[in-house]
Amino acid sequence: MAIDFQRNQGTLIIEAAERVDSTNAQRFLEDLDAAIEPTDQVVILDMEKLTYISSAGLRVVLQTAKTLQRQNSGFALCALSGTVREVFEISGFDQVIAIHPSQEEAIAALKG
Amino acid sequence: MAETSGPYRILVVDDEPDLEPLVLQRMRRAIRSGRYQFVFAQNGVEALETLNQDDEIDMVLSDINMPQMDGLALLSHIPDVAPDIHAVIISAYGDMKNIRSAMNLGAFDFVTKPVDFEDLRITIERALSNLEAWRAATASRERLVALENELDVANKMQQSILPTEFPRQPGFQIHGSMTPARVVGGDFFDVVYLNNGRIGLAVADVSDKGVPAALFMMASRTLLKSAAMGLKTPREVLTEVNDLLYDDNDAMMFVTLFYAVYDPATGEMTYANGGHNAPLIVHVDGSSTVLPGTNGIALGVMPGMSYDERTISISAGDTVVFYTDGVTEAVNEESEEFGMERLQQVFTSQPIREAESATQAVFDAVNKFAGNVAQFDDITCLVFRRSEP
Repeated sequence: MAIDFQRNQGTLIIEAAERVDSTNAQRFLEDLDAAIEPTDQVVILDMEKLTYISSAGLRVVLQTAKTLQRQNSGFALCALSGTVREVFEISGFDQVIAIHPSQEEAIAALKG
Repeated sequence: MAETSGPYRILVVDDEPDLEPLVLQRMRRAIRSGRYQFVFAQNGVEALETLNQDDEIDMVLSDINMPQMDGLALLSHIPDVAPDIHAVIISAYGDMKNIRSAMNLGAFDFVTKPVDFEDLRITIERALSNLEAWRAATASRERLVALENELDVANKMQQSILPTEFPRQPGFQIHGSMTPARVVGGDFFDVVYLNNGRIGLAVADVSDKGVPAALFMMASRTLLKSAAMGLKTPREVLTEVNDLLYDDNDAMMFVTLFYAVYDPATGEMTYANGGHNAPLIVHVDGSSTVLPGTNGIALGVMPGMSYDERTISISAGDTVVFYTDGVTEAVNEESEEFGMERLQQVFTSQPIREAESATQAVFDAVNKFAGNVAQFDDITCLVFRRSEP
């Protein structure tokens, strides 16, 4: 698991890569918490390079969504690969977390 | 080292009577500040008696040459009477032979005569500091052992709530099993006896593993059972369990849960799905399909969610295989996933005769596939089979 992020005018784009499973989910959560500032209005989690996410990883995404909801920030996922998308679809979380095909579309949707 | 703890009780063993007043005089500051307390013995025999009677002693400071029992003999007896103390030896200058013997017998350090009291103080502090670290490590190890014992109990409790006896009726058979990845897991399955001979079947997977997941699993399983007993339809059961789990769930734990009710009177199975892998229905000829999907999100994270349900007809000889993603996402040495196709192949290669052997066949196939790769997720499989006439 590795994350990389960049911030531009209140929009934080986080790119997650490799695998997130129960062995590194806690670190994933800590890395996301460290990256996100209360002043971020829009946070986009780009999963293009993420090859696998377990239920422990899903929980981290949900925790992050809840944190951002509390601070009234927009949150979306984008660029999910086939297997990662499947995990979100099976669990039904694609119904409660916005998912977009690309960063551009996610930004457009959130910044309206 | 901060000189705040103590007092440390130090047993000084020497046959020369002038050491006692000297120690008391030169160490008076540490004695007055309450860091050191000294007790004295004239030889090894007396020292062992003192150690036997006084279990507050932290350290022994002993001469080597003494009548009755010398310092080396004393050292050899210390582990029996006081295993958790350190010993420092006072030896003649240059007496390497005795110093080596003393160190081999477990002495922590040595000082030489004539005693330099500043050097002695530093040596005592080093010994005490090491003693503290050693005692802390021992305590941690004991705590770890206690924790492991508790985990073992948790594992037994968890395994004990999973069904081990399954209904064997003329109309159908059920069998299931769960293998946790760690000592305690987050998967579970259940068989609930409902009114009018109906049977509730559940398979579930709590996010994450270990103790928190196991606690959430216990809560989920209890809520499911009580909701299921309330004579409700699967969709109502999931709606209720979801709302109950959502309360006070800041950790955003969740459980994916598939719940089905089989009615032997009609041969129909009604099910609802809370974000779980859809089970497989295997026909008599070994062909299989995934049960048609129903909308529903994993339980515990969003209140007021609604769940769809479906009813399918189970033909005689049909088998429904419920499982968790520990089956389909098991990984082999080439980092490939077991996947749905391999699961389906289990049943094309060997026709299902009974629920128990079908469950075993799934576990065998997954274990063979994984080879030497350590299991990283709980594996659960629950099989329902409608008997052939």
